[in-house]
Amino acid sequence: MIEIENITKSYPRGEGGVVDALKDASFTIAPGEFVVVRGSSGSGKSTLLNILGCLDQPSSGNYKLEGENVARLDDKALARIRNFRIGFIFQSFNLLPRTTSLENVEIPMVYGEGWVDRKKAISALERVGLAARGDHFASELSGGEQQRVAIARALINNPSLILADEPTGNLDLNSGREVMRLLQALHEEGRTILLVTHDDQVASYAEREIFLRDGQIVSDRSQQARAPEEVMP
Amino acid sequence: MRTTELFTQAIRPLGRYRGRAFLMMLGVLVGIASLAILTAVGEGTKRETMARFKNMIGTFDTIIIRPGGPGFRGMPTLVNVPQSLRFEDARTIAKLPKIKQVVEVQSAFDIDVKYRDRQASPAVFGVGPKWLSLRSEDVADGSFFTEEQNNSLARVAVIGPDVRKDLFPDEDPLQKTIRIGDVPFQVVGLLKSRGAGPTGAQLDNIVLIPINASARRLFNRDYLTMLMAQLKHPKQGSAVAMELTTLLRDRHHIRPPALDDFTVTNPTATMAQVLQAGSTLQKILTGVSAMALLIGGIVILSLMTIAVSERRKEIGVRRSVGAARRDIVVQFLLEASIVSFAGGVCGVIVGWGGMQIVTRLLKLPPILVWQPFVFSILLSLVVGVVFGIYPAWTASRVDPIQALRS
Repeated sequence: MIEIENITKSYPRGEGGVVDALKDASFTIAPGEFVVVRGSSGSGKSTLLNILGCLDQPSSGNYKLEGENVARLDDKALARIRNFRIGFIFQSFNLLPRTTSLENVEIPMVYGEGWVDRKKAISALERVGLAARGDHFASELSGGEQQRVAIARALINNPSLILADEPTGNLDLNSGREVMRLLQALHEEGRTILLVTHDDQVASYAEREIFLRDGQIVSDRSQQARAPEEVMP
Repeated sequence: MRTTELFTQAIRPLGRYRGRAFLMMLGVLVGIASLAILTAVGEGTKRETMARFKNMIGTFDTIIIRPGGPGFRGMPTLVNVPQSLRFEDARTIAKLPKIKQVVEVQSAFDIDVKYRDRQASPAVFGVGPKWLSLRSEDVADGSFFTEEQNNSLARVAVIGPDVRKDLFPDEDPLQKTIRIGDVPFQVVGLLKSRGAGPTGAQLDNIVLIPINASARRLFNRDYLTMLMAQLKHPKQGSAVAMELTTLLRDRHHIRPPALDDFTVTNPTATMAQVLQAGSTLQKILTGVSAMALLIGGIVILSLMTIAVSERRKEIGVRRSVGAARRDIVVQFLLEASIVSFAGGVCGVIVGWGGMQIVTRLLKLPPILVWQPFVFSILLSLVVGVVFGIYPAWTASRVDPIQALRS
């Protein structure tokens, strides 16, 4: 599913020097894996996620997504990949303000197929249990509900890869649990899930843990995933 | 399809940030409204001026020669002009190769016209029989007098609509005998209405009689008050006017430093001057409203730029779910164009309404032109695109990673 090879991302820093946000990262993720990426802030987690999500491009190294080398694609091709193959879930939900839940869920269809299938959007909302909230503005929803709308949006074009950046970071325990249950269900459908988190409990859902420190992968190991009911009180 | 969806995405924020959209529209609205009014009034005035000249002379290819030198003012009549313009002059001019035809004119104003106990005070003109063909017009009823009637000194008359109203309010004037001064004339034709002339004078209160009858049976004068010379080629106006001046000075034995005892005018050139004077003012005012439109464009530019910086996060989200840079450009460009177009449409409506009020208040004739309005609407679209380019480009350069982090 994902193959990265010696990925480095450097940023220029005063007087001609560079700082490596990510150094020589290499790993392979098989289709259907549930992987958690951990590390303290500044360890390069976000940079890795942005590169995997085709929002950013590496300074060097190769990135193959489903066998296709995407490290050197142009803006339009990358946009297409983000649209059809990747679903993003953010810590701060990132729903559009003054826009209804349904309209938020429909946005990827605008840039993808080029036409909006409202029924599809409604069924995506049904899937996250919010069919009744379709005409509510994002600002009228609770945090947990907003994140579920965001998940519906991530799913609308049926991507095989879900990238989640601290998806429960802004949520209370119950809402967080519900979000994790949804992610778990997506995993069970065979989607590949890559989750960035600080939270030990959230991390324990994954089957594999990649640990970053100072831009380098310091450990990459499999673990026994636990069901949400086991982790959350 | 994709564009339709982008259109929807572009139109939504306008509904949701109404205050801002309204301000953006307002700038364009003011510019477009004033531009539409000015161009429409300008165009309308031009057409009106041309129409009035046409009403008076009948064509745009006729040169007018009047007796009296450059100092002479007012409408020449048989009692107030030098007796310098003669029938011989007319005959000579008619033979010139560049002249199609001439019409001799004698005019008198203070003369009563009667039918039974009714009385009217029209302008009475003795005119050559080609008067009607020079104007390429037709009579409303009856017929115009012929060459033969002119030659045989027939006492026949053709009357204008106002005279008909005064003398024959409820009977058919044809074949009736009217008295011009004390001389009886038989009415043989009715003129069509000509409306107003360039100075607003009514052109319908007239009686036309054959020039020969006028000269020998009514006024007993053998000089003319006007000579109309139609050109074969309309563009030769100035050249022919000079040629006629030379010819007439020669015929009248005028040597320098003596001044002309006649005046040659080329009404088409005069009209061009009138239009030119109007169009200078027009140009200045158009410049002012173009400035207003420019300011409208700048309002769009700045408010859209502010909107882009406020909506960086939205842009980041859209990019993350699959919008390419191009989609963002198109979307923001559409947003600017829609709002500007809407401003243009409203501006044209306001401008049209304003024009109706202005023409009514100033009692101007209604202005019936639509082109300036269509043009204004298209222009508003151009303004939206031009002033939307920079914000749209800025929007497409927003770094989604930074935007999403904020």
